[in-house]
Parts: sequence; structure tokens; C-alpha cells
Amino acid sequence: MKPHSAWGSLKNPVKFKIPTAENLVPIRLDIEIDGQRFRDAFSWNPNDPDSEVVVFAKRTVKDLKLPPAFVTQIAQSIQSQLTEFRSYEGQDMYTGERVVPIKLDLRVNHTVIKDHFFWDLNNFESDPEEFARTFCKDMGIEDPEVGPAIAIAIREQLYEIAIQSVASARESRANKKGRRGMEHLSASKIGSPALDLVKLFGIKSSVVRKRRDWDVYEPIVDLLSNEEVDALEAREERIAR
Amino acid sequence: MDASRLQDPNSLKSSDEPDHDLYTIPSYTSWFSWQSIHEVERLSLREFFDGSSITRTPRIYKEYRDFIITSYREDPTRRLSFTEVRKSLVGDISVLHKVFTFLEKWGLINFDPSNAETPAAIDAPAEEDKEDEKWRIRAEEGAPHGVRVVAAPHSLKPLAPVPSPVIIGDGGGGRGRAGDAVDTVLKVSPMASYSDVFGELVEQQKKENVVCESCKEQCASGHYEYSKDASSNLCEKCFKSGNYDKNKLEDEFKLIDGANSKANWTEAETLLLLESVLKHGDDWDLVTQNVKTKSKLDCISKLIQLPFGDLMLGSIHRKLNFLDKNGEVSGTDQAQPAISESGETPGNQSHEQNQEHQQNGDAESEAPPLKKIRRAPISEASSFLMKQVARISGAIGPRITASAAEAAVTALCYENQCSTEIFDEDDDELGSIADISETERASQVESAEEEEKLARSEVEVPQRNTIPLTLRMRAATATAVGAAAAHAKLLADQEEREVEYLVSTLVEAQVKKLQHKMKHVEALSLMMEEQHGQMKDLEECLVTERMGILQKIFSAGLSRWRDHASVRSQTSSV
Repeated sequence: MKPHSAWGSLKNPVKFKIPTAENLVPIRLDIEIDGQRFRDAFSWNPNDPDSEVVVFAKRTVKDLKLPPAFVTQIAQSIQSQLTEFRSYEGQDMYTGERVVPIKLDLRVNHTVIKDHFFWDLNNFESDPEEFARTFCKDMGIEDPEVGPAIAIAIREQLYEIAIQSVASARESRANKKGRRGMEHLSASKIGSPALDLVKLFGIKSSVVRKRRDWDVYEPIVDLLSNEEVDALEAREERIAR
Repeated sequence: MDASRLQDPNSLKSSDEPDHDLYTIPSYTSWFSWQSIHEVERLSLREFFDGSSITRTPRIYKEYRDFIITSYREDPTRRLSFTEVRKSLVGDISVLHKVFTFLEKWGLINFDPSNAETPAAIDAPAEEDKEDEKWRIRAEEGAPHGVRVVAAPHSLKPLAPVPSPVIIGDGGGGRGRAGDAVDTVLKVSPMASYSDVFGELVEQQKKENVVCESCKEQCASGHYEYSKDASSNLCEKCFKSGNYDKNKLEDEFKLIDGANSKANWTEAETLLLLESVLKHGDDWDLVTQNVKTKSKLDCISKLIQLPFGDLMLGSIHRKLNFLDKNGEVSGTDQAQPAISESGETPGNQSHEQNQEHQQNGDAESEAPPLKKIRRAPISEASSFLMKQVARISGAIGPRITASAAEAAVTALCYENQCSTEIFDEDDDELGSIADISETERASQVESAEEEEKLARSEVEVPQRNTIPLTLRMRAATATAVGAAAAHAKLLADQEEREVEYLVSTLVEAQVKKLQHKMKHVEALSLMMEEQHGQMKDLEECLVTERMGILQKIFSAGLSRWRDHASVRSQTSSV
């Protein structure tokens, strides 16, 4: 095995995969039955047997003391998200040489997090969970739910981008163009803004950001009071309706 | 855990240089250098060095690394967090994290020596002097300007080399490249133990613990012993500058070269030999007549044994020629104004030199350097090597040699910690190699003074017995290779110039040819113009002639012209 096989190569397409070390599917649940709402987000290993899904759903319902009707709903939701993920598996995805900006803007309980950083789609050694852990440690976040939430937020964005890569790869194959054309096409087709690498990493520019840019990429963590949380939730609900 | 302390010594000595701070990094990270990227870094962070992406190049790695370290050093007391750094760096967050973790693991950032050492030892800069043995302190240049975050970051260019680069994630236990390169030149048996290689040195150090009476420093390179009291010693420097008790006489000091004396040449004999050699050059019959007590063969071999013997012979030739040409006194003026200013005649000069030689000669005769005996089998190769080095380096200039030697020594240092210590103790070793070459070069042009210097530096080398021969040889060999490379470069440059010259000649010739052609063409065109002008004149002439004729016709028979037919018939008939 080559020492740097963990890195995607520029030339060859890779099989669809979340561009991280562990190929985990971000799953998001938002289920409402009879006015009772259950929301959760976690990552799931697509290689686990599907029987686990039901076991997990039962267990969750039992632990959270939810009405039994939730079991099937949860299981179904997970199953459908897994199926969608699997439908992409085995397909080619052209990552080319791409670094994408990841933006975090989430609230977990009382903690609000805003952040902005770059993610290399060819780095199959990257580890969102590790990143989230470091983040929480560095920022002194104590809420244990924040870390996983960050990791899942990252995974969701990467998942999205990976799906786009598959789509563009398929499209370019249909166009039967040369590889050069395909790459060009994929770069332009993909909606998410890939970065101009030559501009960022070229010989002329320094990888050290200018001081005035630091604020843009500085993570912001806010702790909200109970009242603020309530107000926010009320507003979100209003918007949802 | 043991830590080396890195610092600019200036901060100890002069308080007006507040720029320098003390940073502590673990000794196992001593490979770190602002200027370069070490093997450890290459192996641990391969992705930057496989050229797989424009986003991960060695240059970018270096920028990341330098920035992170400089940020940490802005305030080494606090813990630098990844989240803090990453906002200022462009790049894949995972790769940044990897670099950060790598630097942290090696203690280049967030290294807290208080975990490893008692805090007292760290907060005691006043005791630094005493702790020199314990802490290695090194002056270093700052980080490259581009990455400066603070007004004056300090840098570290480490010092204590890792015995052999530790390779992570590579069970094969490879060695540094530098080490390999040297190894191929002179292989120390892989099974050689520390004492095999350095035992010699250790022993010697014990022996040489002679302290100078005057300056209280250790006499590294031989010392003078007061003949009436063996316990009073002087180092060479103090002896020469006369720093000793007034009531002791110069003659009563004896040079001890860290070895026992066992030569059958007496001082007087050697002096005589040198004097007569100076006088008669290599006319050995005359020399032998002068020395009397020794045979011709003895004289020759003795002179050759003297460290500067053959050099002196060469110089004698030159000097004799020189004197012949320039007469007596003013002869040396051009070559050594300094000496002549002090009013010394060449005679004086040579006499003085003589004294010098005599002293050195005594040292040699009474105490043939231990080294020569002990290392008989290789010393020949060694001296040959040294000569080669000197010759090659003579051709390319001292500065290049010095840097080659430096590179060689650095490579050696990386290979083995002990060698660093050795070279640290004796920084001049390098210098002297370069020195020799310099003086040698100079001596080809200049005269006696240089000669003397040369002789001295030659002498100094044997006296510097502190460095084990193997190491010296390796340093010398590496230097030679470096020097040879430089020499080759010179030759190549010369060749290139030659080619350039030829090409330019060619071009010039072509241009000349073209110019000639142009001239020719111009001449031709001139001729054409002339002819053209002539033709025009002719044409004009004809036209006017014709006009005249027509006029005449008109005036002659205008009436008849009106009748076309008649005109036609007339013209046709005409």
C-alpha cells in the first residue's frame, strides 16, 4: 500500500464516499406525532446491518420515554436516509483538486457557534469528530452535545458536496468530453464555491492570512441565557409554520 | 525528560539587546531549524512532500510551521490552541490540525519544561553560567522575515543533534541522509560502540586538564611548563604574550605538547638545522656540514618530520629567489609593508621566523605528537587527505572551503551527539582547515609573514589532539568532497565562459559578414541610383529634343496639319 493512498488523486475519480477518514452518514431526524416533536442528529455507519436500525429506534424511544408510535417513524426515517446514501455508493465522484469552505452556524441548547474554515475534499484522512473535539476543548465548551453537533454539521455539508460531485461526474460522462473538459465542467457546475487554489496557495501568496481577515475566520461561541433560548425557539417555530 | 535551553547568549551579556529571549524546547526536538525542513518533518507529514497537490507544498508547510511556532512564542507562557491559530492560516483544516499536533508532539509549541524539570532550574537565568554544562545555550537567527508576527521572534537553530533521526511510523530505523553521505566516505563499523569511537577522545580529555597559571583556562593545545616547578603551567597564548611571572625566564619554560619526548634531536641541533636550511636551501651537503652532528639523511628526514618542513623548503626557494631579484633590504617591502615599517630587515625577519620554527621544532623534537605514534597506520592517509584538501581549497578560495567544512561538520554533528560537543569545543578546527588553505594560497603570492602564519597553523593542527582521528578524517573527507565540488563548479564555470566567448566570437563574425554584405548592397544600390539618374537625364534630353522637332514641324507647316489625311500621309511618307 502506498504511503499516501489516503489522499485522493487529481487524475482518477474516486468511488463515492464522504471525504473523511470514516465513511459515516449524517442522519437527521425531525419527527412530530400528535404534537410531540423529536429532533436528533447523529452519524451512522452505512456498513452496519440494517437490523440495527430498528434496534436503535426501539432503544431510543425507550430511553427517551417517547410514545411507541415513534419507533417505526424513526426507523423509517433512518432507513430512507441510509438508502439514499447507498444509492450513491459505487458511483464515481470527481473531487479534482478541491478545497471547499465550510461554514458553521448552529445552536445547540445554550451554545451558539459560528465558524468558517476550509476543507480539502481529497483528504480522506480528515476527521470531523476529532476537529469538533479540539474545537470544544480549545473554546472551553462544556456542553457534551456540542461536539457531535459540530461534527454532524460538517458531515452534512461534505455529504452535500459529495452528492454534487457525483452528479457532475455523471453529467460529464454523459457529455463524453475529455477529462480536461470534465474537470472544468465539474468545477463550474458545482454550485458550492470551490476555492481558487492557485490564488490561495500559489507562490505569490502567503498562507498566513492578513490580519483583517482573521475575524472572518475566527470561531464565535456564544452562551445564551434561558430567556434568549426560549425567544429563539419561539421565533424558529413561527418561521417553520 | 531532558531539555535543552536555547538562547542567544547576547541577552546574558548585554542588556541593551532586549530582543533576545529564552525558549525551551525538548532536546529530542533539537533537529528543528527555521531554515530547513528536517527528515522527521518529511516523514511525519508526507502529504506536504509528495507533490500531490498545490495546496500542500514544502513551502506551505514551512509557512504553517513558522507561523504556528512564532505565534506560540509571542507568549510562551500560555497554551496555544489550534482554534486560535487556524483562523490565521489558509488551508485544509485537517492538514492544519495535523501540523499543529505534530509541532505540539515534538514540543516546539506548548512545551512546558516545568513538567520535565524542577521549576527552580528554569527560573534561574543568573546561574546560567554555571549551568552551561547542563543547558546548552545557542545563539540563533530569527525566523524568516515573512512570518514574523512579533517584533522580534527568536529563533532556534538547534544544537544537540538527535543521535540518529528518529523515524516515526517507519520501523526500518533509517538514518539521516547527511549521515549516510558521510558514512560512505569512511565507514565506522556499525557495531562500534561509543567508547570504540570516542574512547580515545575521552582519555585524552582527562589527560589534558592542565590549567594555565595566568589566564586560568584550560590549555587545550599544548602548554608551557616551568622547568623548575612542574606544577606551574602556561598556555601557549599567555606564554607568547609574556603573561607570566617576571622572575621566571623564558628559557625556563618548556613546551609540552601533551606527549612525552623521545627524540634524539636536541634543541640546538634542530635550531642549527633550521638555520642552515634557511641559509643554504636544499643544498644538503652544506646543511650537513653546518649541523655536523647529524648525517645528511637525518637532516632531511628531520626537516620533513617537522610539520612545516616541506612548506619551509618551498618558502626558502621563493625567498632566496626573491632576495636575489630585489637586493637586500627593500626587497620585502612590497610584499609585507607592515613588517618593513617596523624597521626589520629580511634578515631579522628570517631570524625571528627561525626562532619561531625553533620553538615549534623543539616541541616536535622533544615531544613528537602522540597522535603520530598512535595513529601511524592512518596518519599518512590523513595527512595526504589534508594536503589534498588544502590544495583543492587553495584553488577555490578559503570562504568556499570554510562553508564546505562547515557543512561537513554539521552533517557529522547530526550523526552523533558526541561529535557536536567535540566540534563545539573546538570551533577553530574548521577555521584552521580553511586557514591553512588561505595561508597556503596567500603564500604562493606573498612571502615570509604568511609563511610564518602558515607554519603556525600547521603546527596548531597537530596540537589539537582533542578530535579523534576518525572524525577529523571524516570532516576532512567531507570537506574535500565539498571543496572538490566547488572546484568542479569553478571549472565548469570557466568552461562555460569559454563557450560563451566562442559563441560570441561566432556571432561577431556573422555580424561582420552581414555588415560586409550590407555595404556591398549599398554600393550596388548607389550605382543603380546613379544609372537611374543618367537614364532620367537621357530621357529628359530625348523629350526636349522631340519637343524641339515637333515645334519645328508645327512652325514649318501648321496649315497642312489641319488636314488629317495629309498629315497622316505625310507622316507615313516621312
